[in-house]
Amino acid sequence: MHIKIDHIAKIEGHAGFTADIANGNVTKARLDVQEGARLLEGILRDRSIFEVSQITSRICGVCPVVHTLTSLKALEKTLNIEVSEQTTLLRKLMMMGQIINSHALHLFFFSLSDFFGQIDDLALIKKFPDRTKDALVIREFGNNIIEVIGGRSIHPLTPTIGGFLKLPDAKKLGKLFNKCDDVLIHTLSLAKLFIKLKYPDFVRSAPYASMHHLKEYAFYDGLIKTPDEKKTSPTEFINVIKEYQLTGSAVKRAKYHGKPFMVGAISRLNNNHTQLNPEAKKILKATKIHLPSFNPFHNILAQAIEIIHCAEESKKLLHKILRQDLSINNNKEREHLIEIKLKSIKTTVKGTSTIEAPRGTLYYFYEIGGDGKVKNCNVITPTSQNLARLEKDLEEYLPELIGTKNVCKTDCREKIKMLVRAYDPCLTCATH
Amino acid sequence: MLGAKKEKPTIAIVSLTCCEGCQVAILDLGERFLELTEKINIGDFAFLEDKPELPNYDIVFVEGAPITKENIIRLKDLRKRSKFLIALGACAALGGIAEIKNYQDKFERMRYVYKNFEGINNPDIRPLSFYVKVDLEIPGCPINKEEFLSIVKKLLSDIPVKIPQRPICYECQLKQNECLLQKDLPCLGPVILGGCGAPCPSSSYPCDGCRGPMKNINPDKLNKQLITQGYTQEEIDLITQRFGFEDKIYPEPPTIK
Repeated sequence: MHIKIDHIAKIEGHAGFTADIANGNVTKARLDVQEGARLLEGILRDRSIFEVSQITSRICGVCPVVHTLTSLKALEKTLNIEVSEQTTLLRKLMMMGQIINSHALHLFFFSLSDFFGQIDDLALIKKFPDRTKDALVIREFGNNIIEVIGGRSIHPLTPTIGGFLKLPDAKKLGKLFNKCDDVLIHTLSLAKLFIKLKYPDFVRSAPYASMHHLKEYAFYDGLIKTPDEKKTSPTEFINVIKEYQLTGSAVKRAKYHGKPFMVGAISRLNNNHTQLNPEAKKILKATKIHLPSFNPFHNILAQAIEIIHCAEESKKLLHKILRQDLSINNNKEREHLIEIKLKSIKTTVKGTSTIEAPRGTLYYFYEIGGDGKVKNCNVITPTSQNLARLEKDLEEYLPELIGTKNVCKTDCREKIKMLVRAYDPCLTCATH
Repeated sequence: MLGAKKEKPTIAIVSLTCCEGCQVAILDLGERFLELTEKINIGDFAFLEDKPELPNYDIVFVEGAPITKENIIRLKDLRKRSKFLIALGACAALGGIAEIKNYQDKFERMRYVYKNFEGINNPDIRPLSFYVKVDLEIPGCPINKEEFLSIVKKLLSDIPVKIPQRPICYECQLKQNECLLQKDLPCLGPVILGGCGAPCPSSSYPCDGCRGPMKNINPDKLNKQLITQGYTQEEIDLITQRFGFEDKIYPEPPTIK
């Protein structure tokens, strides 16, 4: 039997699905990625380190903040530049905005309809007007955070190597602070809807990885943690995950010690749930899921919990930032420091950095020359890491769906799409 | 444009290869976008529905650059099925960041990224207007969602749409920003089409031209000015190549006297 889905809507980017099944065994389950190759790593070569982060932002319109910031962090690592506490706080806050708006988009607009056998969000919006309001208020808050700090919510402008071109207006940050409590209420009511949903009971064994930090639920900084409890630096781990390419495919896949693995919200929750903020912890308890969870559908629930955590964290970060002096921005000093660092380069220098993007760990590697230009680079996106695992899951899930009847009708096809969407894949990122 | 039709117009929002940020910008309109959906039939918008596509559209918005063979086929098919085709954002209107490779050795770039490059399409990147007739371009990377909404409202009310040929400087001055060009930064504001609200210079980030040049501009004057300020031609070219409009202002390579 051959199963073919030409196009899966409500994911970021374009993909279809094909599978072959003989005597109840799935011989091939493949996500057919239908994105053009933009050759991002290629076009960045020979370009100035001062502009590449603006170009990498364009890898993804849903998560531009993480592409900008990971690129900047990798360049700073390469040049051995430490940023100020204020810069770190502002970037962490931008990250909260990013996770909040991306998760809200995925939860409400992409995934929710799957639980109601609905193919049209506009019908869903009529069914849940209050939850629609929750989703819109939450997304708006996330966007506002990014806009106030970054100058624009999609493809932010102010973040630069070593800091910011311009610091945010304290009054606008104050307004955001005043919104936090209300937004938290909306995140809780949205999460309560997601607790009530019935998640397919599909449990499999699979390795997972995410960043981990001793002091906080890691998004911006940390080491890479895997189920064997080993913690590895991003520089080492980028060598552990091996990228490979299937013939004719413009998207690369990645494996962990030769095994498909999973990154993203559920992997973070598995690793770091004890570090959640109080309200998020309460909701996690109410879900009654047992962690670590090996059910990929729980990725959806994990995102709902992370939004609560991020709303709480935004308030904490804003509180700290508002106590700082935002009137002085030492642009000249920053530029001078980069100049000195570049002059000290003999041949080239290399650096790797990571961030927890909404969909999982994002890796950037740069090698730069003393002329301030990129010589080599590599970007490994969360979806690249997840693709092999998603396909393996589909292989294992399909026999359960088909059962003894050996047919894949509408319901079975909808379940395939539901599993794909649960991973929140971004094929735009994955191909780049 | 839509004529005196009684039923709701059918509108599609479609993407080729890009970051999909322009679709995100539309969704970022939030409630205002949901209000808009009550006045239209959605023929295709993959962010919101998984229904079969409708056969014909009154208006189709296309974001992204045609890169794969399938992208090009789809674009031509959409043109046939639609009364009005709008290029949405820099990738569709100019080529966008994917066009950077046109100014490099694109074959070397392909080999650098992929060991097995067989079967991966690597055409020169062209805007939609190279392949099909485009009725309107809404520029920007990303689009300005406010400008998008105002254009759609005009289209739905049969009011002709024209983006005023004013430079970025016009809006930048209204915001009373400090002039970045006067601070010796390579700001393209004087020659780039305004309408974005000048978010870049307002963020101390010099305009890098994502909305493309105004019509009938003479780019040489700004080019000379930047050279006087100490920028090399190579540095200036890297900026005009970023969103793929160097070929638009200089169909032939520029000569510097």
